[in-house]
Amino acid sequence: MSRRVETGRSRLACLTVPLFPLAARLRSEPELIREALAILEGNGQAARIVAATRAARAAGVRPGLSLPQARALCPKLAVRPRDAISERAAEEALIEVADAFSPRVESAGDGTIFLDLDGLPRAASLSGAATTATPDPDGLERALGRDLAAAADAAGLPVRVGIASSKLAARVAAGLPGSPVIVPAGEEAAFLAPLPLARLAPEVDLSSTLERWGVRSIGDFARLPPAEVASRLGRSGSDLHTVARGLDPRPLVPREPPPSFEEGMSLEWPLATIEPFLFIGRAALERLTKRLESAGLACLRLELDLTLEPEGNLRRAIELPAPSRDVKTLLSLIRLDLEANPPGAPVIGFLFRAHPDRPREAQLSLLGPAALSPDRLAATLARLFALLGPERVGSPRPIDGHRPERAALVAFAPPPPPLVMDRAAARQGRGLLGVRALRPPLPLEVITEGPAPEAVANPAISITARPIEVRPVVANGGEDVARRLEIRGGVRVAAGPWALEEGWWTDDPADREYWDVELFGGSVYRVFRDRTTGDWFADGIYD
Amino acid sequence: MLHAVRTAYLDIPDEVPEIPANVGSRAPLGPRALPQDLRDRMQSARQLLGKAERELMPTGLPVLDRLLDGGLPRGELVEVVGGRSSGRFSLVLEVLAATTRAGEAAALIDLGDHLDPARAEAAGADLSRLLWVRPRTVEQALAATEMLLGAGFPLAVVDLGLPPLRGGRGIEAAWLRLTRAAAARGAALLVSAPYRASGTAAAAVVELDRGNARWLRSGASPVLLAGLGGRLVLEKRRGGSAGQSAETSWRSAECLTPPALEVRPVRLFERPRLAASA
Repeated sequence: MSRRVETGRSRLACLTVPLFPLAARLRSEPELIREALAILEGNGQAARIVAATRAARAAGVRPGLSLPQARALCPKLAVRPRDAISERAAEEALIEVADAFSPRVESAGDGTIFLDLDGLPRAASLSGAATTATPDPDGLERALGRDLAAAADAAGLPVRVGIASSKLAARVAAGLPGSPVIVPAGEEAAFLAPLPLARLAPEVDLSSTLERWGVRSIGDFARLPPAEVASRLGRSGSDLHTVARGLDPRPLVPREPPPSFEEGMSLEWPLATIEPFLFIGRAALERLTKRLESAGLACLRLELDLTLEPEGNLRRAIELPAPSRDVKTLLSLIRLDLEANPPGAPVIGFLFRAHPDRPREAQLSLLGPAALSPDRLAATLARLFALLGPERVGSPRPIDGHRPERAALVAFAPPPPPLVMDRAAARQGRGLLGVRALRPPLPLEVITEGPAPEAVANPAISITARPIEVRPVVANGGEDVARRLEIRGGVRVAAGPWALEEGWWTDDPADREYWDVELFGGSVYRVFRDRTTGDWFADGIYD
Repeated sequence: MLHAVRTAYLDIPDEVPEIPANVGSRAPLGPRALPQDLRDRMQSARQLLGKAERELMPTGLPVLDRLLDGGLPRGELVEVVGGRSSGRFSLVLEVLAATTRAGEAAALIDLGDHLDPARAEAAGADLSRLLWVRPRTVEQALAATEMLLGAGFPLAVVDLGLPPLRGGRGIEAAWLRLTRAAAARGAALLVSAPYRASGTAAAAVVELDRGNARWLRSGASPVLLAGLGGRLVLEKRRGGSAGQSAETSWRSAECLTPPALEVRPVRLFERPRLAASA
């Protein structure tokens, strides 16, 4: 890899976000961009300012000041602590911007990433993505750099771009004003030479030694003989000398794509009610769905991590019926989940983690029936889940067996519609008599003719006597019965019995004798006697 | 299509009809200026649009299709009303089966939790295209139906189950909103209720008379439920005349004999009648 760098074939871009802790904060709270805002790191007396907005810098607030010092300079200064969650999210967002340009991306942390540009400027010029028509690679790279900066800006992060053949040169170039800065291949040493040595960020004692030697610029240092530098300054000095000469042996280490997307922030003050939380959560969800969209993905499972005050954590997972990017739906699911199980303590921080999946695609048909829009269907199913619960929405399936009150439910994912609608099939039905299943079976009192079945000596050959009257079971004051439908009356016609025995080897066996009975009112029911208990039930109405 | 156009074109008689003398500058423009026989052959674009809007969805039940002039009108609400054992649920299953069999998705909003998937499959429904939603109250049922119509389901069937209905009939305004949602998407909306629920929102109301059970008898005792006969009465028809009725019959899944036939007692040991000459 190092040889590749030296031959100048590989080209790298470095994206760096100046004042990264501040930029990450402003991405979460964009309304603060015009205010005098400073980011504070550390606790109590040791807290120091690490970054400040332009308004604060104009008042004299500099990194390294303590909070009282800064407040003395700028009384209206707003202060926020460094927020690891929003910094991580901003870092991820930056990487995803780079992912859209190159498959090989390395994250160096603190708002700096590298991406491999091999072949990209050419491809960009072919596709017309680059705005310049000049064939020289410098111009193409400049256009690419501008595209990168624009894409990062759209993700809410102002970046500087440097393009060079080594990581170090690219990083130094990105630190210079006038972004994008392009270092032509093979000219890394010449590019670095006039710059002050501080750009290489040497260690403190090393830089003081070099200053005593009178070495001010990178070029001065690079001109020193390597062997002498190594013998006087040791390993770290030798390494620094190599980079000063424009050689950077470190290869690009591409990162693995993340299994999930995260977005969140820690809050200034604890939130005890749901409305303000959802207000802040909506912005985070919008950022999250935007990132998912840029990766061509949608959220299938949303995890919610809440940091509670004074201590504790709460983790919730919300399963979606189909991949979705609809903020409104996600938000209403979060609301319903939190309303159903409140956290029990004020919330001081939160993190949304989206487990992605490919969104469903629909193939439109010219002549056949229209397919449902997968996006809209996913959103609707999620809202129905929220309204009724997942156990009450789905596609029905029969369960192997004979008990009609049992039914299975699977996720609704209709197959694509046929190319041509079969209208002839639709016209001629089967005219089959339907049965309304009663779930659970309705307990009944049934008066039968002849001897009671218990009177028959051998239960194995017992046959239930014909029912002659049916009435509802009144138990516990009949309160429950009053709200359910009532089956009552004399039996006009009864046909049966049919035996049903199922699952005798399980914990929940069914041993029933079925009768079809028509009451004098004219309605026809399917009733059965449980042979193990002798109780009567209705489990269906012919309708 | 092209063939149809050509046939229509060739049907126009060769001789040009005599143009009436009063066709002049003051005569109205448009089809009225044309002679009657030409005017009958012409269609304006507006008429074509109206036809597309009134597209119908076959119900799978020829009797009901006849009553409704061809099927469920898309974009309108049709209500079927009937008591216990009137065949109302069979009708619901038939409509769901017809739609899913044709390849369209359908949603059943089943307030009473009455669907038996095995029966629906036996009726010919393609269960993978059927969304089964089980609300707990009428209010939830109405909200769910509105969501489903908004999602673009071509058919939503609301079965309110059997009385007592949890939540009454629902607010009339909610039913009217459902009609508007159906009209906006061109979806057919069928409401099956034990008594009139949708009020003025329904474009057509079909009432099912209480059915009469048909039993297959052997001697004196019935042995098998053969089916259910019933009568459909068109109670209301917006923009049409009501009052027609038709007979229906439903065949029991366990019985292979069509119930429409007169079922006679089955005699197992009937002696074959020999011809007198033999």
